[in-house]
Amino acid sequence: MERTTEYGDAHECLQAARQSMRQVKRLLAQPSAEAADESAALLRDVEIQLGCVAALLRQNGSKPDLEFRSGIEELQDEVAVLARFFAEADKLFSGWLHAIRARRGGYTERGQAEPLVLVKKLSVEG
Amino acid sequence: MGNLFTSLNSTSQSLQAFEQAMDVVQNNVTNANSPGYADQVPEMISQDFQAGTGLSGGVQETTQDTRNSYADTAVQQSMSLQGMYQQLQTSLEPLESVFDVSSSSPIPSALNQLFQSFSQWSSQPSNASYQSAVINAAQQTATAFQQAAGELNSIQTQTTSDIQSTVTQINQDAATIQSYNVQIARNPTPDAGLSAQLESTLENLSSLTNVTTIPGLGGMVTVLIGGQTPLVIGTQVNDLQAVNDTTSNAGNPGAPPTISIVDSNGNDITGQVTSGSLAGLLNVSNTMLPALIGGGQQVGGLNTLAQGLADSINNVLAQASTTSTPPYQAGSPLFTYNSSSPAGIAGSLAVSSTITGSLLAAADTGPPVVANGAALTLAGLDSSNPGPIDGQGFTQYFSSMTSAVGNAVSNANTAETAQSQLVAQAQSLQQQVSGVSLDEEAVRLVQLQGSYDAASKVVTEINQTLQTLMEMIPTD
Repeated sequence: MERTTEYGDAHECLQAARQSMRQVKRLLAQPSAEAADESAALLRDVEIQLGCVAALLRQNGSKPDLEFRSGIEELQDEVAVLARFFAEADKLFSGWLHAIRARRGGYTERGQAEPLVLVKKLSVEG
Repeated sequence: MGNLFTSLNSTSQSLQAFEQAMDVVQNNVTNANSPGYADQVPEMISQDFQAGTGLSGGVQETTQDTRNSYADTAVQQSMSLQGMYQQLQTSLEPLESVFDVSSSSPIPSALNQLFQSFSQWSSQPSNASYQSAVINAAQQTATAFQQAAGELNSIQTQTTSDIQSTVTQINQDAATIQSYNVQIARNPTPDAGLSAQLESTLENLSSLTNVTTIPGLGGMVTVLIGGQTPLVIGTQVNDLQAVNDTTSNAGNPGAPPTISIVDSNGNDITGQVTSGSLAGLLNVSNTMLPALIGGGQQVGGLNTLAQGLADSINNVLAQASTTSTPPYQAGSPLFTYNSSSPAGIAGSLAVSSTITGSLLAAADTGPPVVANGAALTLAGLDSSNPGPIDGQGFTQYFSSMTSAVGNAVSNANTAETAQSQLVAQAQSLQQQVSGVSLDEEAVRLVQLQGSYDAASKVVTEINQTLQTLMEMIPTD
């Protein structure tokens, strides 16, 4: 998905980043690979939008106000939640995969779950 | 004829099997929204047709419980962590009102007024209304400390009461699980309804404390706390108790003892309680509150602050004189507190009953003698460098306590928000596992993990960008 972005000032960029972050939170409410991919794309947008904020601040040399600072702090809080969410989700998925591997293939001699072979079996004739 | 009867018998059994299968489907539909219910999958198994040995062919229905123990465990573990963070949120919220750094908050406001009154008094040490303003401001400061101590003690009392009621709830859930085990022992036929009730109880128990469930014969479960201490084994229950550890506050008179969780044999299992609301409450009661108001071996930051403030001001006054010319008259202490109970200093902080304006010593006897020297020292005490308490000024010390509480609240909020989403994910996966092949599930999980990993890396980069932005914004 191609997104074109043009921002007039740093406030506008920050507003767009916060809007994207809200969409990410909505998407992650339901686990699906599509939602996660779309979230990753939106997060890349957030990164670009924040890059724009930094560039515009440097270019204009303007001093951000208190409201601007609180906007950044709110984004930081949301990013902290997301970081924790992804870390815990990784543990959850790893646990699931371990359980599936153990149920599907049993355990190795060293007591670890057997690796999971997910490719389809092929038979060649002739 | 033999073949005809065998065939009729086979057809009859097949119909019974399909009827049972329809019952299972009906049961699934009815219980779709029952908490803890797992789909029962009807399985048709073809029977060998061997008339000679009495096997009659046809199909036989066996009900396969799709309950996945890992799915259930994942939900229970997520709920256990969520329970802890939710409890931390609830218990820490009232602390924020006590440790509020804003200028309208009682302690910072009182400290500000007290040092302003010293400053005003230093301009005219013999001015009776300025002396009176110092005593009034000191009175407000003592009241602010007493109120804060009272509120913290009330939070401590509430937390202790919450621990007792949580332990009671845990014991009630354990008794419920034990009664399920008794029913299963009497009738080992799989019962989806009973299994759903059991799962629902286990989820509730998980939100209270960290439990491990080990499935046993016929569907009976063994429940352990912290993976070690049995709570329910078969038809036996090991009741828990919350007790005051009377040895914990030895040598710290007035400090509340720490609370321990013991099993029915009197073994201390507090260290094994690592999640669930009980862990959150124990953390608040045994770690966070003692650091603020004292408990166990700790004096508590608020008491340290109250004592530091009183001692610093009283010392300056004791070394100063009420007159700037001989004979010098040492000043009287402004504050008093109960020194025999270090954990109760903030609560007992008061203005000396004997102090009057004329007993406030403003003069530094030097040499050289400075008529308002002591008053000036007092006015600058809060901003002196290094400060009187661990190198910090009084307001700064209070701010660091406020900051610690604020961070704890913020961490609890962040963790709770993330954990709520994870509980939703774990529950979603738990529901989706029914009827899905393990291979398909694994492929889906690998895809999901990969996508999440990609998003997670971007989050790390965004965090760095935000940090850069914060550094670009001036703090003043």
